[in-house]
Amino acid sequence: MSKSDAYTQAGKTAVLQNIHGTVEFLQKYPPFNQMDMAHLAYLVENCQMRFYSAGETIIKPTDGPVEYFYIVKQGHVHGERPHSAKRGTETTFEITSGECFPLAALIGERATRTEHLAAEDTFCLLLNKPAFVKLFSLSNPFRDFALRGVSSLLDQVNQQVQMRAVESLGAQYSLDSRLGELAMRQPISCPPATPLRKAVQLMHEQHVGCIVIVDPALKPLGIFTLRDLRRVIADGSSLDQPIDSLMTLEPFYLPPDASAFEAAIAMTERHIAHICLVEHERLCGVVSERDLFSLQRVDLVHLARTIRHAGTVETLAALRSDIQQLVERMLAHGASSTQITHIITLFNDHTVCRVIELTLEDLGDPGVPFTWLCFGSEGRREQTLHTDQDNGILFEAADSVTAADMRRRLLPLAVEINQRLAQCGFTLCKGNIMAGNPELCLSRHEWTRRFNSFIDEATPENLLKSSIYFDLRVVWGDAHGCDLVRQGLLKQVANNSLFQRMMAENALRQRPPVGRFRDFVVARKGAEKDTLDLKVQGLTPFVDGARLLALAHGVETCNTLERLRELIAKGVIETLDGAAYEEAYHFIQQTRMQQHQLQAKQGRPYSNRIDPDSLNQLDRRILREAFRQAQRLQSSLALRYQL
Amino acid sequence: MSQFTWFTGRGPALLEAQLDRRIGLAAPASLDHRPLGEQRLVVLDLETSGFDMKRDQLLSIGAVVIERGAIDLGQQFECTLQRLDHKVGPSVLIHGLAPSQIAAGSEPAEALLAFMEFVGDSPLLAFHAGFDQRMLARALKQSLGYSLRHRFFDVAELAPLLCPQAKIPRGGLDDWTRYFGLQAQQRHHASADALVTAELALILFSRARRQQLDSLQALEQRLAGWRRRQKVHLI
Repeated sequence: MSKSDAYTQAGKTAVLQNIHGTVEFLQKYPPFNQMDMAHLAYLVENCQMRFYSAGETIIKPTDGPVEYFYIVKQGHVHGERPHSAKRGTETTFEITSGECFPLAALIGERATRTEHLAAEDTFCLLLNKPAFVKLFSLSNPFRDFALRGVSSLLDQVNQQVQMRAVESLGAQYSLDSRLGELAMRQPISCPPATPLRKAVQLMHEQHVGCIVIVDPALKPLGIFTLRDLRRVIADGSSLDQPIDSLMTLEPFYLPPDASAFEAAIAMTERHIAHICLVEHERLCGVVSERDLFSLQRVDLVHLARTIRHAGTVETLAALRSDIQQLVERMLAHGASSTQITHIITLFNDHTVCRVIELTLEDLGDPGVPFTWLCFGSEGRREQTLHTDQDNGILFEAADSVTAADMRRRLLPLAVEINQRLAQCGFTLCKGNIMAGNPELCLSRHEWTRRFNSFIDEATPENLLKSSIYFDLRVVWGDAHGCDLVRQGLLKQVANNSLFQRMMAENALRQRPPVGRFRDFVVARKGAEKDTLDLKVQGLTPFVDGARLLALAHGVETCNTLERLRELIAKGVIETLDGAAYEEAYHFIQQTRMQQHQLQAKQGRPYSNRIDPDSLNQLDRRILREAFRQAQRLQSSLALRYQL
Repeated sequence: MSQFTWFTGRGPALLEAQLDRRIGLAAPASLDHRPLGEQRLVVLDLETSGFDMKRDQLLSIGAVVIERGAIDLGQQFECTLQRLDHKVGPSVLIHGLAPSQIAAGSEPAEALLAFMEFVGDSPLLAFHAGFDQRMLARALKQSLGYSLRHRFFDVAELAPLLCPQAKIPRGGLDDWTRYFGLQAQQRHHASADALVTAELALILFSRARRQQLDSLQALEQRLAGWRRRQKVHLI
């Protein structure tokens, strides 16, 4: 080695040592903590470091296409957009150490839409664009991060949750497993003319609980299970009949790409034990209840069936703790908050239906067909295990005199149902939003009149009521009347811009707890010191925003996530915005449920308040980002309704 | 050739190629009115075997560049000098350079030439610059027979001048990094110290611009006045 080579070598290792310090700093933050050392070193070598004093502009819309990828090394940056409705500007986001900007503008090769200002004395690392492009092509974590911004952070959390689940079970476990992978063996099938005896023989030889009857193109025509065989024998039917006269027609099926979760839900909803897998109209597998159980050890279907057939309210009340255990187990196994709320809603619906049926058996049929409605979070299918009753009754009556008479007959039944639900763990509603309340046991016309009065006379009280009642859904009984009420409601809201504006004002009342300079805005004193409310401050802005937009644009569904999806489909919300809202909502809900689970484990009462400092750094950062999405939704409402 | 003999007589023995490189070194640029944002500056920090400016030796050089108002992390200089006669003294506790590292260092004439090529005609910036200036000048004289004439600016002097509100009249690098909440990656490592000094300089330049002192010449003038006032205060 010549001397000059030796020097270059010495120089290089020494410089690397110094670059190393910056690399070490970056490695505390995603996506840098997942990038290769060589890519990180390349990144740092292509950076310059700049200082911005408090209040100084870093980039602004008039600067033209963005030339650098900025990483905050120290300090705080905030984004300000001109207020469209008002004069002045509003802070749209806040960026702190280890975070980057402006991804969208840089990738879109355009100017930033937001002025980025140093909120305090700030150092940024500036990566030049050619180096950014090179890293973008070389490093997968960097590319994912750049393309998906916040979303990829959320994915990381989900991966973490799943990893924890795998660790605790010591095996691959997931409700997200593809059904195609669960149905290991070839499905057993036969043509429609097969004699029953032969079909059963086939099932016996193959050790399966069901056989699918298919046409020559393998399209499923029907299904025959061991349970059906029991019935056939009990009926004394001949074993030589062709099977198509005994099979269940049009069997339920799912595509092989559907998840184990979907199958479990379908089995729970439909009380079936086998699901055909069909692709391109051809039978390609069968998944049984047992396949799912061996996978997940979570006895969803069995529990649902037990509830549905419970003989007394006492049994239902006792099953409540089973539901709780099941939900806790699922949460511990990494089920998502959406899956959990879905399951809880299903069990709650089953319980309500069974209570109604048992009460009808005990008190006798009132002779008036009625529909059991639910409102609020139950209406939105967003219940946790700890919810109040919010319900009502709808019936058909020709005039007000008949309506009053029917009400008199229905009320004792309704009161009893409310009491029995309370026995099963559905706390009585303090605001008396219950079917036993004569004001909530109404004919279809009365409901419509009541709802119209909320809309026409938008007092604060009526706005509050509409935020509960307008999230309505049928739990038991004929759904037609409720559909008509809903359609009338949507029409009224669509035509009343004043009401929409008032609702928008209402939706802006709960401000997400993120501040301009600090991470989170938390309570300053009292028992709630240092905490914030995940439900009221985090979820409510999304729920209120989605309700308003859904009602104003004729979206019938009540679930917040479904509302967002339909609003995207209708072009009311931009796709990317909608996806970000969805993820943010999902994350806050997940955090809330994990919090509940922790509280249960520690024997503390359930609370929606959380100290953000108790979260790990990644979760804290995403939670803050999720609240920011709530802020964005609110500012878009403010813009839309010119508030 | 005459120069070569001149050096073989009284100065260090240099290879012809090294002599050529020494001749090729840029003369320092004179200070002008160009805004600080357009000024290239080299921020350096030296580790030495002690604080005796006559006897102690230069052991390592760390430097970063401020160009177009930013620290360019791609342009850094760091080099440990080979000192065969180096004895471990108490200063090892400060700079942390092991004898083996020093023995493996670059040959001093090569290292210093490379450094001066890196500096070019740019003015230099250091914390307690007087010390670095004299140690560097002596090393350049000894190893290269080169007279250092580059302008030095002392961040230790600029800081209290531009931020009197900090009330740190005679503070060290640690005092100022703490005041501005900066984080040195590894204190008393020449290049890490140079980096944190450069960060400090960026803050100070931003303060200077606010006080309409947006060139080295303007800063130089203000410093002269400030030094006079400091003397008066001392009397």
